[in-house]
Amino acid sequence: MSNKREQERERLRAHRLEREQAETQANARRRRLVQLGSGAVFLAVVVVAVLIVVSGNQNSGGSGEVVDVGLVDKMVGGIPQSGTTLGNPKAKVTVYEYGDLQCPVCKAYSEQVLPQIIEGQIREGKAKIEFRNFTIIGPQSKPAGAAALAAGKQGRGWNYIDIFYRNQGAEASGYATEAFLTTIAKAAGIKNLAQWNTDRKSKALTDKVSATTAEAENLGFTGTPSFAVTGPKSHGLNTLGTPGSAEAIEAAIKKAS
Amino acid sequence: MSMKPPTEFTLRRAIAAIAAIGIGVATYITIADSSGGAPACLAGGGGCQTVASSSYSHIVGVNVAVFGILGYVLLLGTAFVQGDAGRFSGFIFALFGFSFSVYLTYLELFRIHAICQWCVGSAVVMTTLFALNATRLVAYGGTEDDAPGSGRAPIPTQPEDA
Repeated sequence: MSNKREQERERLRAHRLEREQAETQANARRRRLVQLGSGAVFLAVVVVAVLIVVSGNQNSGGSGEVVDVGLVDKMVGGIPQSGTTLGNPKAKVTVYEYGDLQCPVCKAYSEQVLPQIIEGQIREGKAKIEFRNFTIIGPQSKPAGAAALAAGKQGRGWNYIDIFYRNQGAEASGYATEAFLTTIAKAAGIKNLAQWNTDRKSKALTDKVSATTAEAENLGFTGTPSFAVTGPKSHGLNTLGTPGSAEAIEAAIKKAS
Repeated sequence: MSMKPPTEFTLRRAIAAIAAIGIGVATYITIADSSGGAPACLAGGGGCQTVASSSYSHIVGVNVAVFGILGYVLLLGTAFVQGDAGRFSGFIFALFGFSFSVYLTYLELFRIHAICQWCVGSAVVMTTLFALNATRLVAYGGTEDDAPGSGRAPIPTQPEDA
């Protein structure tokens, strides 16, 4: 009897030892797998960090890598557009920007000065802003200007202008090719590219680019961007030239209101 | 304090179900793109259009969502593979997918400056899959193949003097 009990105890003991050994081996295997997994996680963190650094260093200027599309969408989204005019069509005050899409100072204005006006008095409906071509930088400025006017015909004029500015290449370096203009058009959300292509080459729009350039010269402007304001109290067109700040333009809008 | 993980069988079923959702999301993005448009943002706004039209939406001419489908299919497959092979491959695929999602979300936030709900949806699905696969590996790695409903087999604790 005692012998049988002894045997049973021995059997249980052996079973337990066997299970313990299996468990130890399983733990060792798990440790090894977790170590391998941790190594893979470390590698993944390094790879993602490298990808982010590399993509952050990519040069946007004229390289076909369109940036700030969302930013522009957000800035002008929800504001009425007609041609190259942004803002409530009934607004009594109109600000005119005489600019050249290839001009780096215009780019700086588009990024640092105009957002404050657009998100303020334009969005509030107190004023509207119209872009007019004043092409002075180089031969590619005129087709670029006509491309913006053609975008305006599809209600995407300001998207085109602002995205172009934010993706400018080096001044008059020849980057504003047909392909570049088309890339900007796609990024600006132009739905009918065939129509845009026809419009931008039409005599009506290329003539308009020349006409507004002549107009800017007649107003005495010598550089881009130049601004002018008209409103109920402005007594005609109040030329501002190239004001140094958003506040100066805001004050001119208030004065003309 | 330690929380008891779900059984491996439950984890595998969850991985399979969520990977299937991922396949659905990625397939929708791919179809919307290949038909010349962009996924429709449910709450309006042009985020999806902007993201889809950005140069980051394609890698060597292939929409990134196609890689998403591939990843989810692989993850779905690992849910049906028992043992360490399934656990480790599932973890590696999910880690790869999760890292890629982190990178794509970075691009949306800081390079494209637009958010597409479908991409966010896919990122959430991939993050969940990563969490599930990591749990499966850490909790069950090294153990024997699971059977439906079973957790890890406990060491017998019968008293020596029965």
